Amino acid sequence: MTVPTLELTGLTRTYRSGTSRRTVLKGVDYRFEAGRMYAVVGPSGSGKTTLLSLASGLDAPTSGTVRFQGRDIAELGLGRYRNRHAATVFQSLNLLTYMTAVQNITSAMEITGVKGRRRRQRAVDLLTLLGVEPAEHHRRTLQLSGGQQQRVAIARALACEVDILFADEPTGSLDHTTAAGIIEVFRGLAHDDGKCVIVVTHSQEVADASDEVLHLKGGRLRTRG
Amino acid sequence: MNLFKRAWWRLTGHLGKTLMLVGLFFVICTLVLSGFLIRAAAARAAEDARARVGSVATMQLDVNGLIDSGKTRKPEGGQGGAIGAEGDLHRSLVEKICASPVVARCNYSTDGGAFPTENTRLHQPVPPPQGQDSLGTDLFSASGIRDLGAVKDFRNGDSRLLSGRGITPDSKSDEVVVEERVAKDNNLKAGDTMKLMAGVLPGPGQERDKREYAFKVVGIYKNSTPDSGSYVPAMMDPANRIYVTPDGGSKLMGKGDGDTVLKEATFTLKDPDDLDRLRKDAEAAGADLKIFPITVNDKQYKALVGPITRTAGFATVTVWLVAVAGTVILALIVASSLRERRKELGILLSLGERKPRLLAQHLVEVTACAVLAIGLAGACSQVLSQAIGGRLLAGEVSSAKDEAAHRPQEPDHSNPLPGANGPKEPAAEPISSMDIRLGPADIGKVGATGLGIAALATLLPGTRVLRLNPRDILTKGD
Repeated sequence: MTVPTLELTGLTRTYRSGTSRRTVLKGVDYRFEAGRMYAVVGPSGSGKTTLLSLASGLDAPTSGTVRFQGRDIAELGLGRYRNRHAATVFQSLNLLTYMTAVQNITSAMEITGVKGRRRRQRAVDLLTLLGVEPAEHHRRTLQLSGGQQQRVAIARALACEVDILFADEPTGSLDHTTAAGIIEVFRGLAHDDGKCVIVVTHSQEVADASDEVLHLKGGRLRTRG
Repeated sequence: MNLFKRAWWRLTGHLGKTLMLVGLFFVICTLVLSGFLIRAAAARAAEDARARVGSVATMQLDVNGLIDSGKTRKPEGGQGGAIGAEGDLHRSLVEKICASPVVARCNYSTDGGAFPTENTRLHQPVPPPQGQDSLGTDLFSASGIRDLGAVKDFRNGDSRLLSGRGITPDSKSDEVVVEERVAKDNNLKAGDTMKLMAGVLPGPGQERDKREYAFKVVGIYKNSTPDSGSYVPAMMDPANRIYVTPDGGSKLMGKGDGDTVLKEATFTLKDPDDLDRLRKDAEAAGADLKIFPITVNDKQYKALVGPITRTAGFATVTVWLVAVAGTVILALIVASSLRERRKELGILLSLGERKPRLLAQHLVEVTACAVLAIGLAGACSQVLSQAIGGRLLAGEVSSAKDEAAHRPQEPDHSNPLPGANGPKEPAAEPISSMDIRLGPADIGKVGATGLGIAALATLLPGTRVLRLNPRDILTKGD
């Protein structure tokens, strides 16, 4: 049996607020493989974002483990895991507004230790691939439209050359054509580059394009291939 | 290098905030540097003043010390004075102390009166009112001095020599210099002889010492204070002041021909810090410092440096206040900026950036602003501190002058008849200008202070960064 790229075991997350407790994820188990694209769907409040936070190392579970290539990411170090192996495209984009589109990408590449002197060129290539006009490359992200910012956020995640790409509603603010293009990029990343792509989405197009669809409801997971 | 680049992009990306931070640092650094410069200028001025004025220690009888020592005794035949011979400061003792290696120059004087003889007249243009007993004041006032030229009235021009010569360290013990009005009343000229009696009042039931001492008039001087036109006790009249040698003065104090008895001795020290050594040498010479304490008369030094020292004190307080207030204000600004930048920090953390490097980025940003401000402060502080220091000092000098003008004149032991000797000597003019000099050491000091403030103001609130969780920041509200 091969070691999965990402393995969730008994993943539970409980939030405490004063004396009240709310369990958002209830013992989720799942194995994600490299070279596949996954869609996580479910109604609002079902725990999709929490699942993404735990799997991407942004948060630690109340109980259970997240293993990357067989190793508990808590042992590996969440910061190191995020830095070397996982990248996330957030729903709220989370771009650094005082930087240009290119600077956002090259900065992330430097932090994640992407080697090479041609970081800038790679950033430009990725932006071009995702349909960001060259004139926008050197503008501060605050001056870009929502769709352009979304593409910059995706380009930043792609540039980091990680093993797993997480995305939270990546096509939410894009038009149909651009969204289709982005889906193709994600599919290519999984199928051609052998990455593991996990997308949290409400979009049927994204779900249809995925290799596997995971339904999250009431903190529990069920799958549909 | 990434964090430096990010810091640069952040600083240039938020130019308004950067300029505000630089401005705040500039104000802090300028005030701190001005404080340092004013303090340094004051220290230099004080050192110069000390070198100029020197440090003069005075030795004279402390009556309370004598009483406390239990050495007071009844006078013997009026020769010991009212407090007895134990209160006599002898020249032989003073000469031994003068030989101390820490003494650059020494001086001594006597202070007493002299009764006229039958052939000598006091200058009394207006006689005493009918029935008034003026025996206790019908005397010449006799100052025993070593150098007439060093006497205040002669130094400040209130008195000047008309003929003959003055008293010098080489003068013989029977020489006297008299005022021209006394000379005229007694038909005296330089080279004549003047007879005087000891100016000691007899004890109850005792006879006054009527021995006459002959003095040779070696000079006649003129005092600028004119006759008042009304009755003035003879001893208070400047015309009746005579100058003799310390030996002559001792005789006129009724101390006979033995060891000269002095009123006070002054020792100019080579180094003001040598006072303790002088006291040890004085004790070794046999002086009882409880009866004859040696004190430093630093009135002139204090008058010179008082205002500039107070200005420096104010500058020191300012430095501390500004440094503390600056740190607090900057810490609050940085704390508020950290709150504002939570999302940015969360994004960087989500990319795997390490928390200490986030803190370092903050520090680099604040330090860059501080360095720029320190440079600007260095360029402006000399002019500013000259202006601020000058203004502060002018206020202090003005206050000091007002205070001096309203302060009652303190008794001057070197002048036996204060008030009867014309206008008092003008007090030393306080230092009224500052020599502000900006050097690398000052820049270094303000640089260290500025960077210290930057580090404290960043690291204290920055500890919050270490507690940040990217998930909480980035998904809050989602």
